[in-house]
Amino acid sequence: MTDLSDRFARYVAHKWPEATDIRVEGLSRIHGGASRETYRLLLKLRRDGALEERPLILRRDPSGSLIETERSTEYHAYRAFHGTAIPVPEPLWLEEDEQWLDRPFFVMEQITGCESSPQTLLTTSPYQERIERIGEQKWRILGELNKADPRELGLADLMPAVTPEECWQQELRKWEEMIDEDEMTPQPIGRAAIRWLRRHPPPPPEKISVVHADFRTGNFLADGEGNIRAILDWEMAHLGDAIEDLAWSISRIWCWARDDRPGGLLPRERAIALWEEASGLRADPEALHWWELLANLKALAIWISGGNEYATGENQDTILGFTGWWLTNSQDRAILEIMGHLK
Amino acid sequence: MKPNVDFTLQTIAASLLTEIAPKISDDYVMRNSALTAILLQIAAEEWDRAAARRVEENGALRRLFAEAAPEVEDRELRARLEAASGGEEESLRIADLDRSNDALRSLLIELHAHLEEVETENARRIESAIWRELRTSTERRAVSVAPF
Repeated sequence: MTDLSDRFARYVAHKWPEATDIRVEGLSRIHGGASRETYRLLLKLRRDGALEERPLILRRDPSGSLIETERSTEYHAYRAFHGTAIPVPEPLWLEEDEQWLDRPFFVMEQITGCESSPQTLLTTSPYQERIERIGEQKWRILGELNKADPRELGLADLMPAVTPEECWQQELRKWEEMIDEDEMTPQPIGRAAIRWLRRHPPPPPEKISVVHADFRTGNFLADGEGNIRAILDWEMAHLGDAIEDLAWSISRIWCWARDDRPGGLLPRERAIALWEEASGLRADPEALHWWELLANLKALAIWISGGNEYATGENQDTILGFTGWWLTNSQDRAILEIMGHLK
Repeated sequence: MKPNVDFTLQTIAASLLTEIAPKISDDYVMRNSALTAILLQIAAEEWDRAAARRVEENGALRRLFAEAAPEVEDRELRARLEAASGGEEESLRIADLDRSNDALRSLLIELHAHLEEVETENARRIESAIWRELRTSTERRAVSVAPF
């Protein structure tokens, strides 16, 4: 990692010309960042005579990923929510010039002393004793996030506009196109879901919200006191129907405890009630059902796309092959369950 | 091949998980090694059943098409269902079975979509049979370490 460390140090010198004695220590890749190469590092430098130490996260575009997303979307989402009730790391730089690290990247604060792995959160101390507390925060934060006004956050001009009537079409089209492009074998269950979704459009949302679009256990950082310190992985964020986020967050595939608790944290009804209370929105059952099926189709599309990139050699990160084998059939079963055909 | 392929893959996976991965100091490489071990476990599980589940599924789809064909009014689709229902495996190589399976499942998608537009009791009956087959198909493909 010396080369990457040195090159990043040169980049910091370019961004902060007043800094001296710039050193990058402990740069190491974090596992699981399937959409970006994610590295943690400690930046040391001297400014105005004072020594500074800043733990940072570097997120660099891979040559391929589970989902092809705009890095700027994620960066702008961090920027918009930093300092609000939604905890996020402070973003520092978005760099699209490939001369520095071969591929575009962005840099943000590293939140230390926290855990994101679902397995660790659900099965090890001191997190597992605080699962309920973590769960309550999780859906309250999601509600707050969905309540936020995209215009006040400055995101309405940075994300593609959508009308309430178009929300469902936009998402269904996006994920259907991904399956069309990347499927390596016919998907009779996914195709049946697509046809059902198109025949039974959901009611339009009360308002257009910021949708995180990957809000699940695994994409937030919790500390040992059971406090959620940061919401991560905003690369799929967009404007749309807030119920999309709720549906994704309670999706079967994230029931990591292998029971019916969404995210392995709280009973489904409690999660929904917390979200409704915090967002001021109603989880219309008809809409929620539609968006839960869409959530499962979307996840299927992501596993298919990742498997395709692995198989074609575009990106042979082990996790892409792993998710293709580990999750695709489970996702089909989750679709059957939502459609009432599993039993 | 002796030792058996599935046994060997399982043994390598266990060694990777319990002996090798814990000694890797780089967290990213260690976790990738653990994922590789699980992939090997899944491959071992698939090894023994791979041909059997494909033959079983292709047979089930052909029987389903044979049952459905007389109920399909679209002559072109009916002809293809009849042709597919009379098909046989040309070989038991996995790649050949997969090719048959892909063709049969593509036709299943067409049949399913067609029946959804038909308002008859027979259409509903065959549609129910399709859903049963789809559910069974996920049971054939079940991965023991998968979450659901």
